[in-house]
Amino acid sequence: MDVYQFLMDGFAVAFTWRNLIFAFFGVLIGTAVGVLPGIGPISGVALLIPVTSTLTGGLSPTDAATSSIILLAGVYYGAMYGGSTTSILLNTPGESSSVTTTIDGYQMAKQGRAGAALSISAIGSFVAGIVSLIGLIFLAKPLSSLALDFGPADYFSLMILGLCAVSGLSGKSVTKALMMTILGLLLASIGIDVVSGTARFTFGFTQLYSGLEFLTVAVGLFALGEVFKTIIHNDIHSGKLARIEKLLPTKQELKDSAAPIARGSILGFFMGILPGSGATLASFMAYLLEKKVSKNKANFGKGAIQGVAAPESANNAAAGGALIPLLTMGIPGSGTTAVLMGALIMYNVNPGPMLFKEHPNVAWGLIASMFVGNLMLLILNLPLVKVFAKIISTPPKYLIPMIIAISIFGVYAVQVTTFDLMLLMICGVAGYYLTKNDYPIAPLVLGLVLWPMIENNFRRALTISNSDYTIFIKEPLSIIFLIIAFLWVTIPFLMKLKGKNVVINDEG
Amino acid sequence: MNKTFDRSLSLVLVAVCSVFIFESTKMLKGSFGSTIGPGMLPMVLAVVLAILSLINFYQTFRVKNSGEKSEKLQYKRFLILLGTSILYCLLLEPLGYVISTFLFLIIAFQVMEKGKIIYSLIFSAVISIGVYFVYVDVMKGTLPGLPVWLGF
Repeated sequence: MDVYQFLMDGFAVAFTWRNLIFAFFGVLIGTAVGVLPGIGPISGVALLIPVTSTLTGGLSPTDAATSSIILLAGVYYGAMYGGSTTSILLNTPGESSSVTTTIDGYQMAKQGRAGAALSISAIGSFVAGIVSLIGLIFLAKPLSSLALDFGPADYFSLMILGLCAVSGLSGKSVTKALMMTILGLLLASIGIDVVSGTARFTFGFTQLYSGLEFLTVAVGLFALGEVFKTIIHNDIHSGKLARIEKLLPTKQELKDSAAPIARGSILGFFMGILPGSGATLASFMAYLLEKKVSKNKANFGKGAIQGVAAPESANNAAAGGALIPLLTMGIPGSGTTAVLMGALIMYNVNPGPMLFKEHPNVAWGLIASMFVGNLMLLILNLPLVKVFAKIISTPPKYLIPMIIAISIFGVYAVQVTTFDLMLLMICGVAGYYLTKNDYPIAPLVLGLVLWPMIENNFRRALTISNSDYTIFIKEPLSIIFLIIAFLWVTIPFLMKLKGKNVVINDEG
Repeated sequence: MNKTFDRSLSLVLVAVCSVFIFESTKMLKGSFGSTIGPGMLPMVLAVVLAILSLINFYQTFRVKNSGEKSEKLQYKRFLILLGTSILYCLLLEPLGYVISTFLFLIIAFQVMEKGKIIYSLIFSAVISIGVYFVYVDVMKGTLPGLPVWLGF
């Protein structure tokens, strides 16, 4: 079957009533998550994993996985749309990936052009979403067949590369990021070892035999961590929403933003594929690029439409691009994709080259649903943007207790133990204090997710080579990955030593 | 940047790593078929993490204290909410979902903002009963019901 046929099958999956509804709620919740400053895409996704798993309880595993991942991915890219709304109207970015949008977006709103800025960012996001999907469709097959040829040693090194890429770029200190990565790996080794059947590091707790549950840790670190931050720092915003007068942009504005949208989409897409860079960095780079190529640089910062169009397209394209390494090779390049991967694994669906072979419905259904989801988002965000802008005035006194209650309900519904609830609380407190002191938690979660595969491939490689450790440097692909991994960590470090500013990704 | 936190975390992690290293020495030998034991990789990880923690500890002495922004932090409210949440987790099974959630939400709403007790009561009741009804009766999930000693 060719790609076209697969895509058509994917649409057949995406157009079932259940999946349409799941996609709709995904993007709807995503937009809300994007608008609310207290809660980001990563905690939104983490929080919804238990909810979707209860919703899909009665379905067959494949159907359940498809519907859940459609909803969760919808939250992810929906948040990219929503983040721009508050950036433009309030000068408060809903997500870190929309920080750049505030520069020109809020200026436009002040000049009474809020409607134009909002609609251009929605259109830009839509175009970027489609561009990255087309890229995904064309790259999925070649990349996954390439990955099928990887041996265990290559896989091991590739995952090390993924971990290094994320640690090298996240957080202010590489040491701290690496510490968190290794802590994640170490925590993941708790539990029964699948190869030998030995209980590792369980210290007599029977609850630890199955290991620390990924879901509990992710919800605690991200969702509760953010809630605790909001409580302690009293991050409760009070500002006046800029008025939206005319929603549609003028012809001139459309013309001016066409090229930035195209450039932003392509740049964002490639930034998204690279592990570790992600949406925040993509939007920032796209803004700098526009500023460089523009003829009248003086306009930037004073309400240039290009300054809204480019970063908003870039962050959406990056969200789509980030799914490529996840789906085709099983390597998540960011915190959010790591959480998505954890969700897939919960359903016994392993992302990676075999995904397109073993579960074509999951992979292609997701891709097709993203077309539908992006279309829904365009409709949600253009005429209904005023409604969403109102979400921000939800009183936090109701919101915060609700998020705590949802976290506890979700974890309990899936795990049914008080032990996991206690773990949830510990992770929540840890999440707050770690983030506050610049210890990034995305690498920790990444380590937690990747550990089983890293260990398996390591052992398999050694079995193949008869315990000869040089297999990792003898295999050509493996050594290339290891060298890149090494450079990825050391170059930013060396640049910092020289006193250069290194752009970092604080997506979380 | 908080040096005390950095230092204590580094020391705690070194301690944790030593425990992990000690535990993993017991399982270094591979069983038949596999060449390395289950403790091998975790041991390497623990050693690396301990070294990184020491580097991090050392780095805290080199960085000058950046002027901490004095921000009014709501620790009291946080501790009350955290305590309430922990109580909620512990009481979830003995008291059942509806009662514990109802109590948790009322307290949490009131901690966030005092007053409007009627609204808090209504919201808490609607949410706790609503979630229980939808999840248990409609979706056939399992949550702890009302406690037995109530006699229902």
